[in-house]
Amino acid sequence: MISSKREMLRIFFSSSVSKLGVALLIILLAFSIYALVAFPPDYGKLVWNNPKAWENYPKSAPPSWVNFFTQSKLFEHKILETHEPVVFKSPDGTIKKLYYFDLDYDAGEFPKFFSMLMKDVRYWKSPPIITLKLMRPDGKTVELTSFIVSSPREGEKPPYSRYEKEPFILKIDSDVNVWRSVSSFLKESYGLSFSPSEIGKDPERFIFGSPIGSNFSSPLKGKYRFEVSVTTYDERDSVGDILLILGGSVYGLLGTDVIGRDIAIGVLLGFPTSLFIGIITSVIVTLIGCLLGIIGGYFGGKIDEVTQRVSDIVYNLPLLPLTIFLIFLMGSSIWNIVLLLIVFGWPGLTIVTRSIVLQLREAQYIEAAKSFGSSPWRIIFKHMLPQVMPFIVAQMIFYVPTFILLEAALSFLGLGDPSLPTWGQMLELGFRNGAIYLGLWWWIIPPGVMIVLTAFTFVLIALGMEPVVNPRLRTG
Amino acid sequence: MGLARTLAIRAVNLLLVLLLVLLLVVVIIGATGTSDRILMSIVRQEVSTYRQAISRTITNPEALEKAVETYRQELIKAYGLDKPWYTRIGDMLKRIILLDLGVSKSLQTFSGSNKVVDLIMERLPNTILLVTTATVLSFIIGLLVGVKLATAIGSKLDRALTYFSAISYALPTWWTGIIFILVFYFYLRIFPPGGMYSIPPPEDTLARLLDLFWHATLPIIVLVLATVGSNIYVTRTVVMNIAQEDFVLAAKAKGLPERIVRWRYIARVAAPPILTQLILGLAGSIGGAILTETVFGWPGMGLLFYQAIVSSDEALILGLVYVFTLVYVIARFVLEIFYVMLDPRVRI
Amino acid sequence: MSDPVIRAINLKTYFPVRKGLFRIAGYVRAVDEVSLEIYPGETLALVGESGCGKTTLGKTLLRIVEPTAGKIFFKGQEITNTDYNEMKKLRRRMAMIFQDPYASIDPSYSVFKVIEEPLEIHGIGTREERAELVMKALEEVRLIPPEEFARKYPHMLSGGQRQRVAIARALVLRPDFIVADEPVSMLDASVRVEILLLLRELQKKHNLSYLYITHDIATSKYFSERIAVMYAGKIIELGPSSMLLKNPLHPYTRALIDAIPDPDPSNRFRIREVIKGEPPDLSNPPTGCRFHPRCPYAMDICKQVIPEFKEYQPGHLVACHLYD
Repeated sequence: MISSKREMLRIFFSSSVSKLGVALLIILLAFSIYALVAFPPDYGKLVWNNPKAWENYPKSAPPSWVNFFTQSKLFEHKILETHEPVVFKSPDGTIKKLYYFDLDYDAGEFPKFFSMLMKDVRYWKSPPIITLKLMRPDGKTVELTSFIVSSPREGEKPPYSRYEKEPFILKIDSDVNVWRSVSSFLKESYGLSFSPSEIGKDPERFIFGSPIGSNFSSPLKGKYRFEVSVTTYDERDSVGDILLILGGSVYGLLGTDVIGRDIAIGVLLGFPTSLFIGIITSVIVTLIGCLLGIIGGYFGGKIDEVTQRVSDIVYNLPLLPLTIFLIFLMGSSIWNIVLLLIVFGWPGLTIVTRSIVLQLREAQYIEAAKSFGSSPWRIIFKHMLPQVMPFIVAQMIFYVPTFILLEAALSFLGLGDPSLPTWGQMLELGFRNGAIYLGLWWWIIPPGVMIVLTAFTFVLIALGMEPVVNPRLRTG
Repeated sequence: MGLARTLAIRAVNLLLVLLLVLLLVVVIIGATGTSDRILMSIVRQEVSTYRQAISRTITNPEALEKAVETYRQELIKAYGLDKPWYTRIGDMLKRIILLDLGVSKSLQTFSGSNKVVDLIMERLPNTILLVTTATVLSFIIGLLVGVKLATAIGSKLDRALTYFSAISYALPTWWTGIIFILVFYFYLRIFPPGGMYSIPPPEDTLARLLDLFWHATLPIIVLVLATVGSNIYVTRTVVMNIAQEDFVLAAKAKGLPERIVRWRYIARVAAPPILTQLILGLAGSIGGAILTETVFGWPGMGLLFYQAIVSSDEALILGLVYVFTLVYVIARFVLEIFYVMLDPRVRI
Repeated sequence: MSDPVIRAINLKTYFPVRKGLFRIAGYVRAVDEVSLEIYPGETLALVGESGCGKTTLGKTLLRIVEPTAGKIFFKGQEITNTDYNEMKKLRRRMAMIFQDPYASIDPSYSVFKVIEEPLEIHGIGTREERAELVMKALEEVRLIPPEEFARKYPHMLSGGQRQRVAIARALVLRPDFIVADEPVSMLDASVRVEILLLLRELQKKHNLSYLYITHDIATSKYFSERIAVMYAGKIIELGPSSMLLKNPLHPYTRALIDAIPDPDPSNRFRIREVIKGEPPDLSNPPTGCRFHPRCPYAMDICKQVIPEFKEYQPGHLVACHLYD
């Protein structure tokens, strides 16, 4: 019994399976669109695969919400950014800009490291003076460092620009001046005597700690305020971004991988890629497959013989070893992968479409159409295709997860396209770096879950299509 | 008569598949210059062996070099390397069929051989052990559960099965394996993280066997999970369709007990399509083997494949592709024998 | 007498039987040297058992199936080998009504689309004009009100109604010749008469010629001017209906007529001739007269020589050695 389009939709949506599937699909699409909009197209090559971009992030750090489950909170990695400074102008022309950074400290451990980054300093007359101060919750203030930007060199003309390509990095862990300042601070405030080199072993402990006796074992919790003051001598002098980085043990929504990349971003980027691969491959394979099946089935003859033989052989080939071999030879670009999946994927549909067409061909209404002069193409498109259509659509939907899974498997084996971040590749990196044996579950689980979820969505939709295609299964 | 003929036709078909794959592979590696590289590496190997052998007798360095060079030229001519690659196709085909697959540049067997054939033969039984066990288990479970469920269409259990099948299909085998290792090894410490035996393997045979099982459990579970969902689903659907047929009704009307009806009438007719499902899943099992072995470090052909890719070992990859196809063709043929035996309608 | 609408001369339609991929093991001789004519405005009934080739003959005349040998003439023009485009134009003048009303119309098409399709294919009229023609066709086959029926889908109609739709579709191009292949066999007995009467009425109205194919010789009496009896791919008797039915010549014809149930109780003890045996295998028919294995009057010559199809009485032809 053939139903109109409206009835097919009604049957489709009558099962909860389809409803769930479609709901998930909408969510997937939403995330994909967001990913496409929020990130530039070459993000993969330029940022994702560039270790330098992730320098300031903790490596292999769990997500920050694990803190919900721990007694003593781990320090969450923080990157504090600049806001508008408070500006003081002196009558003698010096301009002092104060940049404030606030930090609410509630972790039970000390930060792993502490750095200050500064970019793009320009001055016209005298080099600016930079000072970094910290105001602690216990009211004490520590001046950590004070330095002058480098003077103009021989033959250099104003405006003098510094730290344009390479930002200025002040690492507390390796800057002796800071250690000295901290040592004096401790002497003044607590009367404790620590040499700069002693402090230099773990400066964060002293900067953020409150002593019990002479022990700095636990951090001082509360509100901290950092002040970076930039003193310049010309109106035109400017300073670009200033970042304060406090190295944490946990970071972000899904933690970081071994290079320090934000896994949440990686997962997000995977949405459009997976959907794209799955859908494009599936559509093309379906088109080719059913076209060949219809032509072979209807016209018969030599074309049919040849198509049958070829599809029989290709259908019987072991997919993965051959694909691996060919990708290995051809190089692992996404188009090669798509091409190979298509080349190996079309016979399935051809064989089935052909058998359906063979059955339909003998139907009396087809003969009737011939009797009043209908051309073969008209018969195919107007009489056969509408009958075959729901089945083809169902198959196409069913192919999507197949291809997504195949691409993930290929990526897992290291054959994926390196310029596109996919979930399979994230898992490959994790596996290769021993994330399983190290228990880095936040790296292993999310990409896999996303693969499963995406595939699952399409499987649900395909299952929902079953009653439409096979009237015997209709329950409504 | 029909049986033999059908099988013969199937055999021919599968042989065609094998030959085609072979031809494809040979042509491709020829055209990309890979075969040149492989043969050159063989030549180099033989030359260095030769050099070692004759350097005992010829001490004059000049004469030594001359002799080695002459030998090298002979080899090049013998292997046809002085001619373009397409002249060598026939030769290559013959060599591959006879399993003369060259040498691996990166790996060695336990006994120190780096011939590709030896490497593959060493690993092959491990893969067969894993995959066969998993396939048989998956088939049995699929059959039993599927038959059980077919009598309970529409129930909550049935609905749960639909979701389970969907999830089972959507789960990448290898990721499941990874999660298993994470849970059962890292957190629960019940199972080993991989490999086939503990290091060092136990001396006592029984203990060795148990050790093997212990290591094989997780990989087998993973492989079974990958296919059991669709097996159960297909079984249930097929049995459901058959159970509605009139001949089953006739059997029940005769008064036959449920069990006999279920097995002698329904299961027998349901077996062929389920077997088809197995056949279809076979290609997937090969892929599954590669991935699962990689995840669990199981020293079979699959892991070998992965290692070959990682180290760009062309000769090894080529040999593996051939052997995989060969194994696949043989396995398929075996299944097809069963199929044709069970379903008389297919015979020509 | 005017020229025949359709004429077949020594028409043969053989289907090759393939064993394996390449070998041809023989031929199914569905139509084995048939010659006949049908004149304007008349109905020729083609009667025979299932599998005797009558449907194939009908389809061959319309070249839905290609003839293997012989000639076909349509209104004087030879159409045996005309090409596709030429044939398409001619198809406006011929049509076919099929046996199974459930299978001969596309179930996903509305009644309107079913009937409109021939018009669309031949590019006749604008949409409005076509719509009008469709409505008229529906009225002609008594599917009234036509607007209501036009909107329905085949599965909403009864068998009889569907067959009316098929008839409407066959008529909409105003053909001259229609092959009606067992148009009422699959309908309920009560509906059969209606449909046959409808066909008759339309024939008179539009001066149509019918080839009425049936296995039931009883209906031919009322429906056709002439009857042709077919056996194993050959026409073995042909003649005006009343003459043939009152005085059947060929033993097979006689048996067919005898097999008609007779409602008159006084005839219930009449001995009838029952034909023994099965219809022959068309790929390997008996030698000589195809009917000889089942014929109660078979002679030696019947086993060896194929009887000639000759005129016995004016207009009444038979192929049987009894009348040599």
